[in-house]
Amino acid sequence: MTASEFKEYVKTNGVKKAAREVDVVTTGTFGAMCSSGAYINFGHADPPIKMQKIWLDGVPAQAGLAAVDGYIGATALDETNNMMHGGAHVIEDLVRGKAVRLRATGYGTDCYPRKEIDTYVSLRTVNQAVLMNVRNAYQNYAVATNSSAKTLYTYMGKLLPEFGNATFSSAGELSPLMNDPYYRTIGIGTRIFLGGTQGYVMWEGTQFNPGAPRTPNGVPKRPAGTLAVIGDLKQMNPEFLKGLTFTRYGSSLGIGIGVPIPILDEDMARCCAVTNNDILAAVFDYSQPTRSRPVLREVSYAELRSGDIDIKGKQVPTSPLSSMYKARQVSEVLKSWILKGEFTIQEPVQSFPKDRPLKTLDVRTEREAT
Amino acid sequence: MKTKVVLTFSPEASNQPITHNLIAKHHLLVNILRAEIDEVGGKMVLELSGKADDIRGGIDYLKANGVGVRPIKEGVRRDDEACTHCGMCVSICPTKALTMDLKTGKVSFNEDKCVACGVCIDACPPRAMEILI
Ligand code: SF4
Ligand code: SF4
Repeated sequence: MTASEFKEYVKTNGVKKAAREVDVVTTGTFGAMCSSGAYINFGHADPPIKMQKIWLDGVPAQAGLAAVDGYIGATALDETNNMMHGGAHVIEDLVRGKAVRLRATGYGTDCYPRKEIDTYVSLRTVNQAVLMNVRNAYQNYAVATNSSAKTLYTYMGKLLPEFGNATFSSAGELSPLMNDPYYRTIGIGTRIFLGGTQGYVMWEGTQFNPGAPRTPNGVPKRPAGTLAVIGDLKQMNPEFLKGLTFTRYGSSLGIGIGVPIPILDEDMARCCAVTNNDILAAVFDYSQPTRSRPVLREVSYAELRSGDIDIKGKQVPTSPLSSMYKARQVSEVLKSWILKGEFTIQEPVQSFPKDRPLKTLDVRTEREAT
Repeated sequence: MKTKVVLTFSPEASNQPITHNLIAKHHLLVNILRAEIDEVGGKMVLELSGKADDIRGGIDYLKANGVGVRPIKEGVRRDDEACTHCGMCVSICPTKALTMDLKTGKVSFNEDKCVACGVCIDACPPRAMEILI
């Protein structure tokens, strides 16, 4: 069953029956996930080159991994900061089967004498092309609004002045980690839906923060768990992988992720029965340019989804940034794969840590950092 | 009858009270959808409503005064293939031309309500909204 179907089922039949009758619930999310990228092995040229600098369609990719491996990050921009075509757009072009221009330079060694190359590559010509994202599928996130007199352009979208609108970015009750708040079934090695194909959870995501404040039913009220995920870019589908542009912020990758959650027991069924009424997020004023912005209020996803919320007595229209429509599609496709036997549930080979303090970056001396 | 037109001006033409004349002399209702005017002239998107004859008269008047007139069927278009139904646009569209079906999560675009203000263009992450001027 998809997560939406399961919630309906529990409403009419109760948790006990749901735990007995349902094996697996499929979750889904589709949103901008900035901490994404792909590593690619281009193959060796003749004469060979040890690439020191790499550009794909003008967007710099990370070298420094032996000779012909590169990593292109979703938010990488060219030297003109062209946000309409960042790393995420290059990745989408590759998935669409397009050829992209590869330029690389090296310093030349006895074993890699070549100093530059200018050519075209596509997913067909390269060896590995693997999407490897270090922080995706945030378990809850913030709500952004803007009290100032001017429009703000942020990674949370366009925020109109004087609380003109508010944006939020979690798929709420459909979101994978919202349905498994204590990471009982999701861990290292969990098989997932990633960008239209099968991928895996490879680690806890960066900034994983299981200690975030939670409601009595265990759902975090602030950004908490995250996933690091991996999958074969060559198998992905542009329907579920899209280059995005956030004006004056940069590029980002829109990606669909779905995680199947086995209903192990009644407790798990209770977790998956969570609805938007039970999930809260904090509203922050993004016109405050500091790390710790004050919380304006807490609001439920049911209110956020209704189209407007009350902030300081004003009815403020809301926008989700993650696509409910595509999140549903992800959960439905994953369900159909499972029903057809094309996708089998993989128990994690290792669970995530239960405590992991979230650290900040401060300007320190060498001694303070030691 | 209603029609949308794109006007292009030279600096001389932009010194004339053209919208006033359209209203006063040609009995038209004029809705300014978009205006970009500077020292080298400019562009304006107007919605003209009135009798067909008056609209024709107004357009002739504009042409006679050195204003380029090009009719448009629609000012803003959505590339339905590119839209991910993320919903970013729904909270910023001032006329609610972009709305989300709360059941399906689908965002639909109602061209009749759109006034081509352009607010959604740079807000749409996959750049699905296009303004045609
Ligand atoms: S902002 Fe763009 S992609 Fe998102 S719903 Fe609106 S038109 Fe579609
Ligand atoms: S151009 Fe303006 S009125 Fe038209 S859809 Fe976009 S925001 Fe709405």
